[in-house]
Formats: sequence, structure tokens, C-alpha cells
Amino acid sequence: MERPLIKDVGFHVMILIGLVVMFGAPLVYDLFQIMQITQYVVLSVYALSLAYIWGFGGILSFGQSCFFGLGGYTFAVASINMGETTLPFALAFILPALFGAALGYFMFYGRLSDVYLGVVTLVVTLIFWKLINHTAGPEYAIGDARLGGFNGIPSIPILNIPGQPDAWLDPEQMFEVFMAVLIVVYVGLRLVIASDFGRISVSIRENETRTSLLGYDVRRHKVVVFALGSGIAGISGAMWATYQTFIDPNAFSLEMSAKALVWVMAGGVGTLVGPILAVIALQWVSLKLGELNIMNNYVLLGLILIPLVLVLPRGLVPSIRIWALDAWTIWKSRQGDPGGRRLADPKPAAE
Amino acid sequence: MDDFKIIRTEGLTMRFGGVTAVDNVDFAVDDGELRCLLGPNGAGKSTFFKCLTGQLTPTQGTIEFKGARIEGMNTHDIVNLGIGIKTQVPNLFNGLTAYENVRISARRKHLKQIAGEKAMEMLERCGVAGLARREVGLLSHGQRQLVELAMVLAGEPTLVLLDEPAAGMTGEERDRLAGLVTEIARSASVIVVEHDMQFIRQIARQVTVFHRGAIFIEAPVAEIMSNPAVQEIYLGKSADAA
Repeated sequence: MERPLIKDVGFHVMILIGLVVMFGAPLVYDLFQIMQITQYVVLSVYALSLAYIWGFGGILSFGQSCFFGLGGYTFAVASINMGETTLPFALAFILPALFGAALGYFMFYGRLSDVYLGVVTLVVTLIFWKLINHTAGPEYAIGDARLGGFNGIPSIPILNIPGQPDAWLDPEQMFEVFMAVLIVVYVGLRLVIASDFGRISVSIRENETRTSLLGYDVRRHKVVVFALGSGIAGISGAMWATYQTFIDPNAFSLEMSAKALVWVMAGGVGTLVGPILAVIALQWVSLKLGELNIMNNYVLLGLILIPLVLVLPRGLVPSIRIWALDAWTIWKSRQGDPGGRRLADPKPAAE
Repeated sequence: MDDFKIIRTEGLTMRFGGVTAVDNVDFAVDDGELRCLLGPNGAGKSTFFKCLTGQLTPTQGTIEFKGARIEGMNTHDIVNLGIGIKTQVPNLFNGLTAYENVRISARRKHLKQIAGEKAMEMLERCGVAGLARREVGLLSHGQRQLVELAMVLAGEPTLVLLDEPAAGMTGEERDRLAGLVTEIARSASVIVVEHDMQFIRQIARQVTVFHRGAIFIEAPVAEIMSNPAVQEIYLGKSADAA
């Protein structure tokens, strides 16, 4: 009755596409294009963090950049001090996840409503942004890493091969590693969503009262979901920091938080593929608009997004699913009934 | 020595600002008993159920379940002690099938494979196994009531609270439900809130009548049905005129 993930064709197709891009893109594109795609990959991991907690846990965070920035700064500080990047990469997951768990504990055990949850996550992000901006002096250093205030932290180490601190990855290798991270995060999230834990998370999203009346501790589930999403955002922050070899307080900015919301909304809440497609499409459009230099590209992007949201209120992937399902139903209906019957039109079509 | 009471409240009171929804209620149900709660809309029955299941923390009073105090406990902890509730408005996961809904409940107590079997068994028991693959959002009100009942039973509660289980059901569905409730009462204690007198006649022995948040009378069903004061409360003054 339930379709196991292993039998889900779409799941396998997505992994296959990921692997083809991972190994095929370096053969097709030049170095500049690969670096551009690497950026999309990093931001896709970031978008997945919100796509999971919002779409499959019902937790709308207005401050996902808090964990993105925290992951980036954790990686920067740890890698500068340790002189290698493997453990710092792990720490960039662990620390934001722990912070997410602590914040989630106060929010969910405090029974905050959704509106206040949005406000709290937003405010926490602003606090981090403000705090990091005020760390310009030499006294604000953790070991060898100066936080640098609004100037950020430069010279962040590039990823190295685990156990070989001097064996840095070249841009193409970094692209492949990041693609592998994206695939692992996607597969991991699909597995979590398909598990009993995932089903309970979706149940909480659908009907929190009923879930708790079945004996499930809704608050504990939400804390775990939120912490996992925070950890994934942290990883993407670390990827961002090592990709740019630089990080500044803008990683905590409202713009970064808003971008994640826009990507998930445009791609479709309740899907993982949608936000990835939205990242690629919107970042590409943003880049091209920047090149055209007609007017502020954020204004232009906004002008594109407004009709997009009006035409596709459910987002890209759910809308495509609905259209495909309608088309299939109409086709099936016409197979059985020569006169055919349109879903949108309850009246029988003319013979 | 008193019979063992599966649930007992003493001085239970629930106030919302100046409104007292449940007023100093002393109530007890024997282990294995099937009790009906009767009362007009606004009598406090659903609020009383919400207090028993931890959805509301009572303003005053105590609640004992199997001898342990439960007032102020979390809902999921109370449910895990063995109380299951079917709410007044069917409370389901609309995007999921009937089977998936019941399986989520069964999974709390059983391993994966057994949970699936248990879910089908409960759907069968409630007479809705044929709807297992249907999304519950597409079912009729009566069918949703039965799916929710299957969900509750899949949690294997020792005390089952049913808030208007026959609402929106056809005559045939109601008769089947009456048989089902009687059957449930053989293995668990059951408290049923219901307005449908015919349904109450079919299932109840002892009835508690709520009025303005307090217990008005507690008596066998035949006595309740013939009590003019109950009829006046329940049917209003127009009943006198008639």
C-alpha cells in the first residue's frame, strides 16, 4: 500500500541527474561556468535546509541565514585555527544544529505560535548580524582567526583532502565534492521524510493536535526537525565560506534569509526538487539581469517574482505535478469516453 | 471497598476569563464501564474531555487516571498512559489515506510490519477497510468518523473517549457504530458524548447529564429518558408547551 522510496522512479532519476551533472559538467563547461554552477550547488543545499523544515515539518523560519552564517563562521574560525578543513566542515554542521536545537527547545517547548516563531527566528538572525558587524577590533579573535567585523574573515582555507592539509582541491574537484554533498543531503532528506520519523513530521504539519492526541511528542519532533535543518544550513554556510575563501556578516543578513524563502516558495513548499530548480533559475536570472545593468536587479527580480507567484501560487513543481495529473486524467478519460471530459468543465464535452 | 475507578475527577473546574465552562465536577467511571454524557450544546462536555486529555489545564480540581494524577500533564503523556479520544470534529491527516492515518497511530505501539497489519485490522473492525486506499479528505463525514475511531483504537487505549461519534452518520452507519461501541466496551472503558437519544438508548446503561458546566444528574438510561427535568434542559421550554 505504501510505495517504498526504493521503488520511487523520480527519486532515482534525481540521483542520476545529480551524478550526470557531477561528472559531466566539468567535461562540458569552462572553469568560470563551473565556478558559477558551484555557487548554485551551495545555495541549493541552503535552500534544502528551509525546504525540509518548512515543507516537511511545517516550521516557517524567517531566519535561516542565522544558521548559514553560523556554519560559515564556524568553518572559517575552525579551519584557520586547525590548518585543515575536514573537522571544521563537520563542526559547521554540529554547532548550528546544536544552536538550532537549543533555540528550537525554547520556541517549541514554550509553545510559540507560528507568527511568533517567525519573529523570533528573524530577531535572532538580526542579533547575530549586528553582533558580528561589531567585531572589527583586534580583540575580537578566536585563536588565530580575527572575526573582522563588517570586513569579514578573509583567506579562509580551501577544502583539502581529508588527512592531507596541503592537498587543496582545485575548483573542479570542489564542484564535484559539493555536488556529492548536495546529492547526499537530498538522499538523506528523502530517507528521513520516508521514515516513520518523517511521516510523523508531516503529520504534525498537517494536524498538530491529532498527532499529539496519538501520543507523539510534537515539541520534541519539531526540535529535531529544526536542528537538522539548522545543521544543513550550517553545512551550506561552510561550503559558501570555503568556496569564496571569505565570509562577512552578510551571511547573516535578512537578504540571505529572504532568498531562501523566495526559492522555496517559487520552487514549491513540500518538495525538495522545486527549491533546487528555483535556486538555479532565479540566480541565473539575477546574474543575467546584473550583466544587463538596466536597473537594480533586485527590483527587476521582484517584478518577475510577483507574476510568478500569481501564476504559480503553489510553486513550480507542485503546479507541474497538478498539470501533469490533470493531463493524465483527461487523457485517461478520453480513452474510456470518445467524447472526452475536461476536469475544469464539469459539463460533458460536445460530441 | 469501592469499585476500581479508571478515571475520577474531583472539583474539576475550567474557567475562561469570567466564563465557567466546567464547574466543580466530581465524576468517576468504573473500569470496563460504558458511560454516556448527555447535555445541550455549551453544557461543557467537550471542555471536560479536553481537560481529561490534557488539551486544557483545569483551573481547579484533580483528575486521576488509574489512580495516578494527570491534571496538568502533557497531552501525549496522558495518551501514552492509555487514554484515546475521538474528537467532535473528525481530526485526521487530510493528505494521507485512511490506512496511513491509522498506521501512524498503530506505529506508536508496534514495529513497522505489525503496525501495518494492526492498521488494517482496525479499519476492518470499524467497517471501513474498503476505504483504506482513499485519501481521508475525500471521504464523507460519517466515514471520516469511523476512520478516526480506527485511529483511536489502533493506539490500544484502556479508556476511550468518543465525542459525538454518531454525528453526521446515516441510520445504518449509526446502528453499526452502536454495535462497535458496545464491542469496544468489552475490552476498554468508554465514555461517549452524544446528542442522539436513539443512539444512547442503544448503547448506554448509566448516563451523566451535564448542564451549565456541572453534573445535573447521574442515573440509569431509562430513568434519564423519563426525567422531565432532563427533558426540559435538553429540549428547552418548548418541550413543555408541546
